[in-house]
Amino acid sequence: MSDETGRTIFLDGEEVPFDIGETIFQVAERYRKDIPTLCYDDRLEAFGGCRLCVVEIEGARTPVASCTTMAEPGMRITTKSGSLEMHRRVLLEMVVSENREVDVDELSGYASQEMKNLVDRYSARTGRFAGDKSGVSRPDDPNPFILRDYENCISCYRCVRVCAEQEGDYAISIMNRGFETQITTEFGGLLKDSSCTFCGQCIQTCPTGALGDLKALRHVEVEEPIEKTRSVCTYCGVGCALDIMTKGDQVVGIQPAMDGPANEGALCVKGQFAFDFVHHPDRLKTPFIRDDHGQLVPATWDQALDKAAAGLLEAVNEHGRHSLYAIASGRAPNEAGFTMQKFVRAGLGTSYIDNCSRA
Amino acid sequence: MTPTNDELIAEAMTEEAPLLPLLHRIHERDGYLSEEALRSVSKGLRIPIADLFGTITFYHHFARDPGGFEAPRVCTGPICCLKGAHDLVAQLDGATGMPCSGRCDEPIPVIRGSQTFVGLSASQLTLGDTPVPPAKVGDYEECVFANIRSSDRKTIEGYRQTGGYEGLEKAVTSMSPQELTEMIDQSGLAGRGGAGFPTGRKWKAVADAKGGPKTVVCNADEGEPGCFKDRALMDHDPHAVLEGMALACYATGSPRAFLYLRYEYPETEHLLVNAISEAEAAGVIGDDVFGTGIKIKIYLRRGAGAYICGEETSLLNSLEGSHPFPRNRPPYPVTHGYEGTPTAVNNVETLASVPPIVLRGPDWYRNLGLGNHSGTKVISLSGDVARPGNYEVPIGLPLSTLIDEWAGGVPNNRSVQAVTMAGLSGGFLAGDDLDVTLDEPSIRAKGSFLGAGGIMVFDDSRDMVEISHMAMEFFAEESCGKCFPCRIGTQRLTERLAGKAGPEDLEQWLDEVSDLNKTMKETSACGLGQAAPLITESLLKYFPQAVQTHVIGE
Repeated sequence: MSDETGRTIFLDGEEVPFDIGETIFQVAERYRKDIPTLCYDDRLEAFGGCRLCVVEIEGARTPVASCTTMAEPGMRITTKSGSLEMHRRVLLEMVVSENREVDVDELSGYASQEMKNLVDRYSARTGRFAGDKSGVSRPDDPNPFILRDYENCISCYRCVRVCAEQEGDYAISIMNRGFETQITTEFGGLLKDSSCTFCGQCIQTCPTGALGDLKALRHVEVEEPIEKTRSVCTYCGVGCALDIMTKGDQVVGIQPAMDGPANEGALCVKGQFAFDFVHHPDRLKTPFIRDDHGQLVPATWDQALDKAAAGLLEAVNEHGRHSLYAIASGRAPNEAGFTMQKFVRAGLGTSYIDNCSRA
Repeated sequence: MTPTNDELIAEAMTEEAPLLPLLHRIHERDGYLSEEALRSVSKGLRIPIADLFGTITFYHHFARDPGGFEAPRVCTGPICCLKGAHDLVAQLDGATGMPCSGRCDEPIPVIRGSQTFVGLSASQLTLGDTPVPPAKVGDYEECVFANIRSSDRKTIEGYRQTGGYEGLEKAVTSMSPQELTEMIDQSGLAGRGGAGFPTGRKWKAVADAKGGPKTVVCNADEGEPGCFKDRALMDHDPHAVLEGMALACYATGSPRAFLYLRYEYPETEHLLVNAISEAEAAGVIGDDVFGTGIKIKIYLRRGAGAYICGEETSLLNSLEGSHPFPRNRPPYPVTHGYEGTPTAVNNVETLASVPPIVLRGPDWYRNLGLGNHSGTKVISLSGDVARPGNYEVPIGLPLSTLIDEWAGGVPNNRSVQAVTMAGLSGGFLAGDDLDVTLDEPSIRAKGSFLGAGGIMVFDDSRDMVEISHMAMEFFAEESCGKCFPCRIGTQRLTERLAGKAGPEDLEQWLDEVSDLNKTMKETSACGLGQAAPLITESLLKYFPQAVQTHVIGE
């Protein structure tokens, strides 16, 4: 088989086409080779750190990392062999040996099960290569959002890279070198004193749960299974896709949708963490209107709308139609925004309408 | 008047590759890098502060506490440890160890600020002075050492007495860059920093590459333990290195060259600064080379203590001011080097070999080697030999000739138990494999490599497990932390060689160590992680009994 361009490689013996600029890993993904990785996140520049994705190229002295090696015409590639699988198991046994634990709760983050799943797939819980553990956790960081449990860090630097490449915050970086390597903020301080915006993307790309979603982890003890419901963030007009995680009828956390067309796995601090209002005791469930004593009392929607209409009419009659000014919520969908401006222009007769993202 | 942060930053912003020189100026001015100064640098050079902080911590020698710059650093490389370096650390107030600082042919070096002292105890410390290479012993002709022993060689006048800068003049006035490259290619000169890539081919690749300006980098980050040849060349023949750089610039069409010097050679920095200004004043480099209108600017940049920066792509990242992890290759520096421009990275010795080749011709150089081998190689010989030092050998010389005849053999009526190759990176040769000639094919046939040419000799009284432990500890300390097999593997091997961790059962111990060896060798991202297991591999091969005793006792 060969496409009209003639650009093909041989993937485990099968001749397959590829596009210019594609890495071996990308081609192999398309052909469902299921090459293991830990430092890979397809939104980020390939890094080549974990070396799990090594493949054999005919004629090459040693295996190469498929994530950083471009496909070239005629390459003969083996993605799975006895020796490659041996290296992968040894590498996984090595990362298991440096961490406090392999099993972390799914609520930790979107990618938090990656390492556990690979360790199980390769039966790498052998206890081999025992020695010092790497990483120093930061229980002293009091921020309510991001767990910094570096004892479970494997130095894949996905957090550092997502912070720089996706979010553009450059809040975290890599300190020291070798086995002493440690994820850090400027001068080793707290996240709140850094340029971190608490967008949570580092949590969601972490493959070990070393960075965890502290708000979701409050619900670890709730027995019921996690259900994910795809939705759209209601905070602004971008329309970030997200999965609302529930246990029973309780919202326990939010995860960004990696395939969300507007956000591709990104969220901001509000979309990621500000969901407490759903179950908050102070949440308004009916309209309120003020009685004659100025006290707010529950009302029906009809009563509330009548009261509002009367108030608006009174203002127009007394001060003229331009005495009113309306601001549409940035959280409103297009249809509601349209209705709002129609109401203001046609109903109230003024052009004083704007949106909160500009007002 | 002491310059302020803002003044230093304003000055740096007019320079090429400004971060390292700026940090060194602040480090020397304040005696450390304060948070306040780093915040100013971050703002001035527009580097995110977290990145800058992380990068500073990568380097061994940037002090972050007041007084740190002047605090003594004692070489605790393998050879110095055998001379009692750890006792010296204990004797000196506030002293810390540092990886091999490239003075294995002297007493133990101690760096304080910008000065190097040497001595075996605290009371004996005197200012160090780079030894001149020992007098030539054999009948073989030398290339880079031929004129190095004359006393005024450091000055441009002294250098020009024996044809200095005549090769450059000849090239820029009567040869095309292609002819020069062709000549170097014919000479058989190959990278003397260890990788052995043919120099002419590298230059041609840079000259042919799209984009520019092209760049030449002289790799003087001589960090390999047991290697101190580049320091001798730069200290005693600085103009030969500069002339080689200028010739590389002409061949590749580069208007600029950087010399990236390791931190541990502070005196060399001053010497090179003088040499560069002498050469510029003489018009042999600078804006108008020999009146031809050709521009060749040479910039000196100094590292801050990181072995990995000797790896060419880490060096380029360091030069650019980013985190000194090695880059993924391809693309190679010849097409995507300094700031993405086509770049020729050459070792000091390689470049110093170029001027004599231009003057005397490629056949002359080719014939310096023995048998089919081209040229010469400087070997830094240290450890248990009567006369340690730098020896320029014809490639193909028997190792035994070098040790026994040139360097006076092993003292105290002892014999050679093992030698290292390529500093530490080639692991050990011992037993029958000591019968080897000094050329890549012969040494590679024994599972090792000649590399940068550092050879440490250990006599039969030495504990090879302990020496392996020191070697692996070095690799663990210098592992950059980018790839898993090296970051974790060097640590696990160090722990096992120290007897601190690992199975108590011999078979399981060997099983773990050989799995680490294999996976590190085959999957590590750069030469450090690929080479480190040669230490354990060769230890297991030559000294199985010592390993057995180490694991399960007598």
